[in-house]
Amino acid sequence: MNKNANKRLLASWIGASLLLLCTAQSHADETCMSPYMAKIVGQEDYVYVWTLGLEGLGDEQDKVVTIDVRPGSDTYGQVVNALSVGGRNEAHHSGFTDDRRFLWASGLDTSKIFIFDVHSDPGKPTLVRTIDDFAEKSGGVVGPHTNYALPGRMMLTGLSNSADHGGRTALVEYTNAGDYVATHWMPTDDNLQGATKSGNFADGYGYDVRVLPRRNAMITSSFTGWNNYMMNLGTLMADAEAMQRFGNTVVVWDLHTRKPRRILDVPGAPLEIRCAWGARNNYCFTSTALTSKIWLIYEDDAGEWQAKAVADIGDASLIPLPVDISISADDQHLWVNTWNDGKTRLFDISDPHAPVQVMEEKIGAQINMVSQSWDGERVYFTSSLLTNWDKVEAPEGEDLQYFKAYAWNDGALEHSFTVDFLAEKLGTPHQMRFGAHSLYGQ
Amino acid sequence: MRLLSALLLVTLPLVATSQQQTHHKPVTQSQILAPGYSALEFPAPKPGTYALPPLGEAADGALLDSSGAAVSLHRLYDDKTIVLSFIYTSCPDMNGCPLATFVLGQVQQRLAKDEQAMSNVRLVTVSFDPANDPPDVMAEYGRHFRRGAVDWRFLTATSEGRLAPILDDYDQFVIRDRGPDGETLTTMSHILRVYLIDSDKRIRNIYSPSYLHPDILYADIRTVMKNGGS
Repeated sequence: MNKNANKRLLASWIGASLLLLCTAQSHADETCMSPYMAKIVGQEDYVYVWTLGLEGLGDEQDKVVTIDVRPGSDTYGQVVNALSVGGRNEAHHSGFTDDRRFLWASGLDTSKIFIFDVHSDPGKPTLVRTIDDFAEKSGGVVGPHTNYALPGRMMLTGLSNSADHGGRTALVEYTNAGDYVATHWMPTDDNLQGATKSGNFADGYGYDVRVLPRRNAMITSSFTGWNNYMMNLGTLMADAEAMQRFGNTVVVWDLHTRKPRRILDVPGAPLEIRCAWGARNNYCFTSTALTSKIWLIYEDDAGEWQAKAVADIGDASLIPLPVDISISADDQHLWVNTWNDGKTRLFDISDPHAPVQVMEEKIGAQINMVSQSWDGERVYFTSSLLTNWDKVEAPEGEDLQYFKAYAWNDGALEHSFTVDFLAEKLGTPHQMRFGAHSLYGQ
Repeated sequence: MRLLSALLLVTLPLVATSQQQTHHKPVTQSQILAPGYSALEFPAPKPGTYALPPLGEAADGALLDSSGAAVSLHRLYDDKTIVLSFIYTSCPDMNGCPLATFVLGQVQQRLAKDEQAMSNVRLVTVSFDPANDPPDVMAEYGRHFRRGAVDWRFLTATSEGRLAPILDDYDQFVIRDRGPDGETLTTMSHILRVYLIDSDKRIRNIYSPSYLHPDILYADIRTVMKNGGS
């Protein structure tokens, strides 16, 4: 092979291995990203942690915290940048645009959305735009949650509305530049919008969104409204009426036309949705916070979408409170975190209809998010759920607010390092996203 | 040679490739060809039954046509419905630029059978590699794909510097690949995007490989024409 041919091959290999910008079938939080997005298939350089400001701690502001995770780096395992946004917003989730140059991070309380440039200097994000009229532009949607990339635009889920701060809400679409495009309200009994109600519920609640483009399917889940997620957890749990106001539905939408097609009963607040990556694996998983189950959302042999509870997560009577889940790139394993007991569990999902728990380990006093690398060899955890739901005290020696990095080695988690967000006076860490210089040819 | 590569890629669209390489080890999944090369796996949307809300204005820009004459995008857009694709002719990724040109070729075939649409639609392919895709290369590239009376233009720029603001305006991210020693390679990494622009010069849809399909694009063209009054 001549030199030029070698160069072309190398260039092609670099393009495929680092960027995957052009491929139709992208793969794995990296395993929870949009299939439209470039993936980091090797070693990530940074983890961006969207962090809640905590009253009385540091500058008290929400911030994007950048942690260096490059093995061998002089600053490996350290916070290399913290960019505050000027206040507290109930920082929650974040997501990249489809070209991965910008990170959108939203606040559930103020409904502000912050857009960060992460490509000019991946080790030092900058704030380039703040959207502060989300409720007004969207026609009354409150609590932007998931920031999900579609081609050339972002799809945001709302959790609530400005009329009654309950759970009725919508999807809201923006251009990558941050300009409002459209609002798509969740179907309800009052207005099914042409959708089929397959069970007992059509509550109009929202939480997460994922898509399976090859099936023209967009899947949304349902949580609860501002009145509940901003309430003290103890108070909420003691309020029987408020506890009735949680979502019980997953909705399957026509991705292209943005029209709801089928409403599925998934009782008990289905939260994160993670769809399989395999070319013929037409299914997604979600977990229900209140009933502690893994649910499979799948297309049956007749091409109809169905929902089925396929596994218990711990002992539901102890309210382990499943939170984040993460599917492996090969669709064989699902990490499941349970907030109340601070544990992560790993399920074998090789048979998606019959997941089997294969491992369980306590990570901290509480746990929320889990993100794994593309190759599954590194797993990261954070601890914060919601300001008014987080625990404030832990037994001696237990971490309350942390970022923890692990290696996944021969079926065991090996601790790599911890960043104590309280000791560092940063706040309480929530969603993680990965960054890499290689994405931008650097 | 570049043209030959491009032709091979678009004429062998259904051949599966070997496993894709990752940074450390092979991915367990074979590389899958983009859906745009195969029959749509779901019913195509019925034109005019759904909304495609505007995604902003389609910017103007100064380019060269395949004869080397200066053209402006807005003059080309005229009052037509436009399908705009950014590519480079030596793109080696089957699911990248060749996919875009393949899909536009399929749309061309349908337009040829639809007189009303044909007179109102213009296809525009723009190279983002002006150094290697001068007008004569674009002309040659176009000759391999253009058929019949359908209006399909193949454009390039006088320089990367003149092209850069256009790519910025369209949010089209492109980086030139570099080798191990930092040398410039002939390949480029980019996110594939195809734009549907209505007769009022508004972007009405953006497509990437997972969703770029002739059936979808044609339904959208018809939808925009109905709503946009082309």
